[in-house]
Amino acid sequence: MTCLYVLFDADCELCLRCRNWLAQQPAFVPLVFIAFQSDEAQRRFPGIDALKPGEQLLVISDEGAVYRGAHAWIMCLWALENYREHAQRMAHPALLPLAKAVCELLSRNRFFLFPNGPQARGYTSRSSQRV
Amino acid sequence: MTPIVWTYIVYIALSIPLTIWVAHTLYKNGRVFLIDSFRGNERLADSVNHLLVVGFYLINIGYVALALKERIAPTDVREVLETISRKIGVVMLVLGAMHFFNILVFSKMRRRALLQAMPPPIPPQAQVSVATQ
Repeated sequence: MTCLYVLFDADCELCLRCRNWLAQQPAFVPLVFIAFQSDEAQRRFPGIDALKPGEQLLVISDEGAVYRGAHAWIMCLWALENYREHAQRMAHPALLPLAKAVCELLSRNRFFLFPNGPQARGYTSRSSQRV
Repeated sequence: MTPIVWTYIVYIALSIPLTIWVAHTLYKNGRVFLIDSFRGNERLADSVNHLLVVGFYLINIGYVALALKERIAPTDVREVLETISRKIGVVMLVLGAMHFFNILVFSKMRRRALLQAMPPPIPPQAQVSVATQ
């Protein structure tokens, strides 16, 4: 595995903040951030919409392995030098359900956490363009 | 020779071999740790090991030299023994602290190497094709 593609939501302030934080951390495996609404995401991963990237964070390795939600977060932490141990801990069967619950809760409510995020400022996502 | 000079001679004669012994132990046994940390790169491990031991010698012999002077000169054998015992005791504690610090450095290097080699903790949930650009 030479890199991990992180498909984040460019319309979500929380996601942007998380992306900025991740980008600043020293990493064992480089993280490449692609907004799932972007053309690049479509070009690089044909048929990505089937995986519903708007619902939860998606992480795809350069070999095509897909991780969603909590699994995607664990992979992001695993890529970072200072958090690899935490990834190992979170992947433990005892903690994984909790991690999943937290990630689902955050994903579902991500637009309420920062009400003045890009979505409120009128940026258009691809899904809204299609309507 | 006065009792204080005897104190100094015995102090030096005990603390320098003690430092050499600890440094040698560290050098001999730290090597395995370091080779593992550097994924079998023996030359790099030996080089780092040597550098660590040089630092260890410098700090400890430096401390032994600085701590040599005794303000109140002992007058009889009892006082000479007490002074030597106290000085050697402090040198041993400093050596012990340095030794544990070195072990900490070794284990940190090793832990980092182990982390770096760790496979992903979870299996992928799906597979997609990635277009090469």
